[in-house]
Amino acid sequence: MSARAMARTCGFPGYEFATVPHPIASLDAMQIGERARDVLPEVVRILGVES
Amino acid sequence: MEAPVSDDLVLADPGEIRRAMEYYADRGWTDGLPVVPVTQSYLAEFLATTSRDPDEVLLAMPQLNRRCTVRLAAINAGLAGCRPEYFPVVLAAWESLAAEGYVTRGIWQSTTGTAPFLLVNGPVRQRIGMNASGNVFGSGFRANATIGRAIRLGAINAFGLRPHLLDQATQGTPAKYTACIAENEEESPWPGLHVQFGLEPSDSAVTAMVIRSSLHIEARHTTVPEQLARDIAGTIARTGALIHETISAMVVLSPEHARLFAQAGWSKDDLSQFIYSSAVLRRAELAAVGKDAIARKTRWRLPAGHPDAVPDTATAEGHPDEVQVLTSPGAVLVAVAGASNAGVSAVVETFGPRGGPPAVVKVDEPPAPA
Repeated sequence: MSARAMARTCGFPGYEFATVPHPIASLDAMQIGERARDVLPEVVRILGVES
Repeated sequence: MEAPVSDDLVLADPGEIRRAMEYYADRGWTDGLPVVPVTQSYLAEFLATTSRDPDEVLLAMPQLNRRCTVRLAAINAGLAGCRPEYFPVVLAAWESLAAEGYVTRGIWQSTTGTAPFLLVNGPVRQRIGMNASGNVFGSGFRANATIGRAIRLGAINAFGLRPHLLDQATQGTPAKYTACIAENEEESPWPGLHVQFGLEPSDSAVTAMVIRSSLHIEARHTTVPEQLARDIAGTIARTGALIHETISAMVVLSPEHARLFAQAGWSKDDLSQFIYSSAVLRRAELAAVGKDAIARKTRWRLPAGHPDAVPDTATAEGHPDEVQVLTSPGAVLVAVAGASNAGVSAVVETFGPRGGPPAVVKVDEPPAPA
């Protein structure tokens, strides 16, 4: 909700963003890598990359 | 954003008062408690207490492209229940927050969940009936309650910092409703905070601080200043306070505790120096909670085994077993407030490492009647 509110406030109500689950700060390198792999398809979709 | 001010309402009966309250609540113009309806004529009474342009910007948040003007500050002071004569103090509080700097960098949106905390000094305290003695952090005094609330309502209504939306606080703090105390200069053995930082005793001033919490200290057991100072230092140096490498604090001493130090010949600066030297954690204490190193870039504390960990300053300086949690004596401010009836004091956990002078802002005298 905060991300959508920030997008509206900054004049980009349709701004697309990807989310990853908490926690982040306490993860080790391998777990961070898993988070990145999990979110990557969504990032690619937002960027408009066509396969 | 729509300014939370209504046309003049005629409040002829309790039903109309309730309707006015619901009107404000329905629009999200409150902190959850009822607010005082602010009409254009009531707003004019607040603006008459200052010679400032109503459109003057007091504090801007560039990331939101929003500003709090003198007019918006006045509207929210009225909503909070301030009397118009409190408004010069509210203005000084906004100026102090702007000068302090954390708010303009987005800290009120952070998960930490900080609150504005205001310390008021000088003759304005008596002029508007501020409480500096018993129950100073508690309820019961209109000026304290509403001046602090005026800032919080400004955060909500001028900047849109509502919970679950632009305010992402994980838990927040009760201080978010209001946190405004006056220094008990009359029962303090030392000069007030505003005098300590260059103003005259006859000046009135507000010092605003972004805070995370307020911690209670029970210390009725000793007359030895070093023991009491170590008790305070130990309260400051708790591992749970450490997100960054260091922290900062305002120590709010009860008059009894302040006199204990003063009678032993200690000044405020002596106390700050002692606390700075004593607020130390052992390496084993930090290792036990996984905060014995810092992150390479953010310098947030984390376990030494973390791949991003680098040694903290204490290790780098060659005294790894003595980790000072304060950057300098200036990171501990001292004020006196509360009743002279017990050995009870408080540590207000201020946000950031600090060490420089606090943002002490003089309260303007109201303009002379035309």
